[in-house]
Amino acid sequence: MAHAATHDHHDDHHGAPKNFFVRWCMSTNHKDIGTLYLVFSLLMFFIGGSFAMVIRAELFKPGMQLVQPYFFNEMTTMHALVMIFGAVMPAFVGLGNWMIPLMIGAPDMALPRMNNLSFWILPFAFALLLSTLFMAGGGPAGGWTLYPPLSLQTDSLAYVVFAVHLMGISSIMGAINIIATILNMRAPGMDLLKMPVFVWSWLITAFLLIAVMPVLAGAVTMLLTDKYFGTSFFNAGGGGDPVLFQHIFWFFGHPEVYIMILPAFGIISEIIPTFSRKPIFGYKAMVFAIASIAFLSFIVWAHHMFAVGLPLGAEIFFMYATMLIAVPTGVKVFNWVSTMWGGSMTFETPMLFAVAFVILFTIGGFSGLMLALVPADFQYHDSYFVVAHFHYVLVTGAIFAIIAATYYWLPKWTGHMYSEFWGKVHFWNSVIWVNVLFFPQHFLGLAGMPRRIPDYNVAFANFNMISSIGGFLFGASQLIFLGVIVHAVWFSRKKATDRVWEGAKGLEWTVPSPAPYHTFELPPVIHDEELAHGHVED
Amino acid sequence: MNQQLTETEQAARLKRARRTAYAVAAIAVAVFLFSILQMLWISK
Ligand code: HEM
Ligand SMILES: [Cu+2]
Repeated sequence: MAHAATHDHHDDHHGAPKNFFVRWCMSTNHKDIGTLYLVFSLLMFFIGGSFAMVIRAELFKPGMQLVQPYFFNEMTTMHALVMIFGAVMPAFVGLGNWMIPLMIGAPDMALPRMNNLSFWILPFAFALLLSTLFMAGGGPAGGWTLYPPLSLQTDSLAYVVFAVHLMGISSIMGAINIIATILNMRAPGMDLLKMPVFVWSWLITAFLLIAVMPVLAGAVTMLLTDKYFGTSFFNAGGGGDPVLFQHIFWFFGHPEVYIMILPAFGIISEIIPTFSRKPIFGYKAMVFAIASIAFLSFIVWAHHMFAVGLPLGAEIFFMYATMLIAVPTGVKVFNWVSTMWGGSMTFETPMLFAVAFVILFTIGGFSGLMLALVPADFQYHDSYFVVAHFHYVLVTGAIFAIIAATYYWLPKWTGHMYSEFWGKVHFWNSVIWVNVLFFPQHFLGLAGMPRRIPDYNVAFANFNMISSIGGFLFGASQLIFLGVIVHAVWFSRKKATDRVWEGAKGLEWTVPSPAPYHTFELPPVIHDEELAHGHVED
Repeated sequence: MNQQLTETEQAARLKRARRTAYAVAAIAVAVFLFSILQMLWISK
């Protein structure tokens, strides 16, 4: 409430630069850089989505219809790389940039110029990666995991590796900035255990990034030297071992999937209390669960490699370790449900996406548990069952959380309410078509359809057609999302209040809507009752 | 209602932040080097 009297004219003596180039290309402002990340992510979401449309169009019927097999393989590979590194991760960094300083009462990120650099690396990295599609010899087509020896046949491997290096550097710098900000820039009185769960989830995610992005960089560097400098890290003929690549890759890759879900957990833990008008159930347990999941994510990597012929002891260890993750994950799901229990709930668009997240992410968790069983995975591995699993956790998990966060914070960013009607239209279309798209893929996988193929046995025809129809309609539904955002930013007449949502708590809701260019230049006085978790007992 | 941070307090805060950043960056570089060096060591 500190700012209630100081509406509107915040930009008098230190507003945003007027010059477009100066404002956006040379920005050191966490809100502008957050916006850049989010816009970039949305663009990548549609580029990656168009690749998915190519995949689903080719798979609409058995037989080869539209594209050459090599191009199909380029599409599966690029779809994954663009969605993971271009859409999901930058969206979370953008949300973190926007909200972390507002949530902890800091004036900006700790290292604003590095913040600019970590964003502006990304357009170059993705221009480089996508340009390989147009090169003689083509882009990478051996899957996003870049397994040798297949990936070593990629003519443009050097470009791909350099692009991955750039993305890695960008993420590492982003993570450094987030850690330095959270550990040093909190307003006096914002103790670690009073921070919003979203901030906690990002702190832990940032440590995961620091621990594993360099491992990916190391792995792709070794691919590079194997291809161009005569080393034999992964070449059995020279004394190396291709399976070692898989170990290194998944030592990065499994924590990476948690990098893509922990901030989503944080977002859901903000939204559910707001629309249940109750503090989150078990705050400390939630934080502890995120930390345990992060820790366990380092000792489960070989569940992606059950079928390569690991020693029996290793198979058993990784099976049980993987199943153990279900425990902290279950704690989170139960706590979200308990938060809703007995609350006076309303179902605005952010809450609808959050509730759908809880249900549908859990389906992905259960299929994950099935995959964790070694004997079962021998059957399911590299089938469409795996595709179904990771799309439930990533699309109805990570992406739904990003969409929920956008609806939740958009009024704070723009100062205008989005159209609730079109938000709900977007929600119902998304939630219906995403299930039509991915649920049949479980059956296809169980029936034996392999992943990453452009053609398939006629026995799989029906479910593929259903899945493709769901895919086209899910893709089309996302244009509604674009429309709602464009409307809210430029055309909406409905002013947002400072608090925006009746049940919202936390420092970010004490600043005006839209959030002024500079906030908390002097640290706010923290009143515990204003925070979502001001007095923690449990 | 805001709290005043003195200029020295603010400078100290930024200095701490920079120190955190260097420490974390050092970890990242060490992990990168180790991920390659352990391979050389395994293949000996
Ligand atoms: C309950 C927790 C989870 C368990 C037990 C689990 C288990 C597994 C297992 C065993 C596989 C390997 C399947 C195979 O290739 O044969 C797998 C694949 C995968 N999981 Fe999960 N998972 C869980 C949660 C998640 C989450 C939260 C995400 C991401 C947000 C995720 C993303 C993926 C991805 C992307 C793959 C496929 C990687 C690839 O081969 O391209 N999983 N999961
Ligand atoms: Cu995994």
